[in-house]
Amino acid sequence: MITFDHISKNFPGVRALDNVSFSVERGEVHGLVGENGAGKSTLIKILSGIITDYEGRIFIDGQAVSFRSPHHAQSLGIATIFQELTMISELPVFENVFLGREPVLWGGIVDRNSMREKSQKVLRYLDSNVDPDTLVGRLSIANQQIVEICKALVLNAKVIVMDEPTSSLTEHEIERLFSLIQRLKDAEITVIYVSHKLEEIFRICDTITVLRDGKCIGSVKRETSHPGEIIRMMVGRSMNERFPPRERKQGEKLLEVRGLSRKGELEDVSFSLYRGEIVGFAGLIGAGRTELARALCGATCPHTGEIQVGQKIFCGFSHPREALQAGISYLPEDRKGEGLVSCLTVRENLVLAILREISSHLWLNNRAESKIVDRFVKNLQIKIYHPDQVVETLSGGNQQKVVISKLLATQSEIFIFDEPTRGVDVGAKYEIYKIMNDLTQEGKGLIFISSELPEILGISDRIYCMKGGRLVKEFYCEEATPESIMYVLTGGK
Amino acid sequence: MRKQLRKVLCTFLPGGNEMNGKKTISWYLFNGVKFREFPILLYILIMVLFFSFTTPGFWAVRNFENLSRQIAVVGIVSTGMTLVVLTGGIDLSVGSILAFSISIGGRGIPLGRPMWIIYPVILLLGTLLGFINGVLITRIAVPALIITLGTMNIFRGITMVITRGIYITPIPPEYTLIGRGYLPFFFLLIVILLFMFVTLRTRLGRNIYAIGGGEQASLYSGVPVVKYKVVVYTLSGFLSAFSGLILVGRSGFIQPQAGVGYEMNAIAAVVIGGTSIFGGSGSVLGTFFGATLMGLILTGLTMQAVDPYWQGLVTGILVVLAISLDSLRQIRGRGQLISKR
Repeated sequence: MITFDHISKNFPGVRALDNVSFSVERGEVHGLVGENGAGKSTLIKILSGIITDYEGRIFIDGQAVSFRSPHHAQSLGIATIFQELTMISELPVFENVFLGREPVLWGGIVDRNSMREKSQKVLRYLDSNVDPDTLVGRLSIANQQIVEICKALVLNAKVIVMDEPTSSLTEHEIERLFSLIQRLKDAEITVIYVSHKLEEIFRICDTITVLRDGKCIGSVKRETSHPGEIIRMMVGRSMNERFPPRERKQGEKLLEVRGLSRKGELEDVSFSLYRGEIVGFAGLIGAGRTELARALCGATCPHTGEIQVGQKIFCGFSHPREALQAGISYLPEDRKGEGLVSCLTVRENLVLAILREISSHLWLNNRAESKIVDRFVKNLQIKIYHPDQVVETLSGGNQQKVVISKLLATQSEIFIFDEPTRGVDVGAKYEIYKIMNDLTQEGKGLIFISSELPEILGISDRIYCMKGGRLVKEFYCEEATPESIMYVLTGGK
Repeated sequence: MRKQLRKVLCTFLPGGNEMNGKKTISWYLFNGVKFREFPILLYILIMVLFFSFTTPGFWAVRNFENLSRQIAVVGIVSTGMTLVVLTGGIDLSVGSILAFSISIGGRGIPLGRPMWIIYPVILLLGTLLGFINGVLITRIAVPALIITLGTMNIFRGITMVITRGIYITPIPPEYTLIGRGYLPFFFLLIVILLFMFVTLRTRLGRNIYAIGGGEQASLYSGVPVVKYKVVVYTLSGFLSAFSGLILVGRSGFIQPQAGVGYEMNAIAAVVIGGTSIFGGSGSVLGTFFGATLMGLILTGLTMQAVDPYWQGLVTGILVVLAISLDSLRQIRGRGQLISKR
């Protein structure tokens, strides 16, 4: 049905897909699994025509195709249901179903009646009682998904790609989705089911393909495999040489968080951080790790709970400035949007958090500024050829070093690094780990959030597992294995 | 002497913060060619050449006096607008603030109140209205465009209700002093130099660029975003009122309809001057050049006896041209390494 032949895709600094080849049979439910960042989303984007510049070829029914646009991919029979549903909430269901392909009567008038009728027919076939006239924005996520499926069927899609379809569904809704998928299968429609929840994969999929670090590790039949094998395929890789040697030592308590809660994001989170320690937070996307970081750095205010830094007790910060003054600095996950002001220069970005310190009254002290910039550029080996270089033009790794320098300049005691190695090449990753090690040598405490398990395991002293906004388990480095953490995160008890 | 000059140049040219003394004056002149205001300076020269050949009397002293006064009022309003646009916002209420300040503040003139009370009151009114803008924009999660569209009508409405549309005229001659000769232009230059210094060399300036370039990133770096936004709109209000003083001096009467359409002229000057409408990049100097270019073209057209109805059209074309140039610069600018601010 669909054959991927040596698909590769490079992003600046990262090889997102590396010679991926596998086939999907007609009428099967094909599971695509992998850790965060394994290349699943990139593959879907290629298949749905969003990414058009890739290497390799895709065959549909033996014919080589190259998608020019999402519209083109749809007309070739591939419909994709993204995790963030792509419908217009202000329009009724039937108009969404026919969006971009409205049937027209003579003179270009949109044939609303036939649109409504056809949508109604397909919705009934899908056993849904959604009224085609309701606005999509009023529907639950589950029903919106059904509308998306309806849209795919109206388009005569032969392949439906579902990206993490169950991420925001309830138990009951998941059951309904599964019976729907069964129905699609009976109608000879191929489903590519992307998820990292293994229970689901094993319930619904016929074949499972595992991606890891952009490579296709292999495809297995469900009957001949078991979750343990898949987990090993997902995480197995050698960990030596990737992380700098680390001397562990634990000092006095630096930070204690007690019962931190924020409605819909965090539930009763309590943990502590000691001097000289790196504490890793593992979790899947949406587990609440970034939300925790944001609450600690003053971007959001927790509803209950308290944060103790040294001897001082705070019940949350109302502005990032307060957190900085308390000695907590945060390296955001979204480097472009939250970490850097992309259109400013290295120099300007680097001192952004300490403008008060380097200015006398209102004037900036240029000499002090240059001195600080030069020091960090030298110490962290940031590769620039001029401090007035626009930060956007640096590579991912160097950009990240600028953000780290900005945090270091604040002289904080506690650092929260949220995905510091995302979009950074292997060499720079190593350097960032080294910077983290050096920090702890100086007696600072580090909270390390990452979606890459090996990284968490390779560098943390303790590991907290988060799921659904709660801390579910604490591991000491020695007792943690990729399998045991993955087991906790994917739903085991 | 040379050292002093170098210090001054250091303040106003990009990369000038390297005070290692190796840079010569010619280095700055050479580097000046590379900075982003250069193209528009070139257009100004071209226009001057064009008009001096085609328009007799262009070089007359009177003409330049007229031109300078015309630039002054819009130029000062545009300086405030530049600050606002640099933070990624916009202020449509500048014209209304101008009218409000001079109309309400000027009501003391027929009552015989002295000038040293009237002037501060006018400036204070403008500052206050700007402050109100800033507070509303930072409190209500609605784009500045919408809020200031509202306050533009509100301020103008209050002005009309209170004055009932009646002019204040005649006004005592001491009020026209500020609008005579090259004095308006002199004030414009002071404002421009002051705010060039503020934007390039103070904490406020640095934060303005940072907020416009990335509000989230600035917030996470501990920049008090709300405070600086309020400051910027307040400054814009103050400068509007200040240009109101000059307008009164120039025209010799106070008119509640004063300043209608100034917001558009100011935005035009800002954009033509190379400031990105999305914030984060641009300069006060550019705005000065932008206002100059606009004033030059409009005066030139008037002198060539071109129908005044053409003026709006020409301004519009200039704005569209400038914005296309800006987006072109952004596309090409991907390879640009050194900040040209």
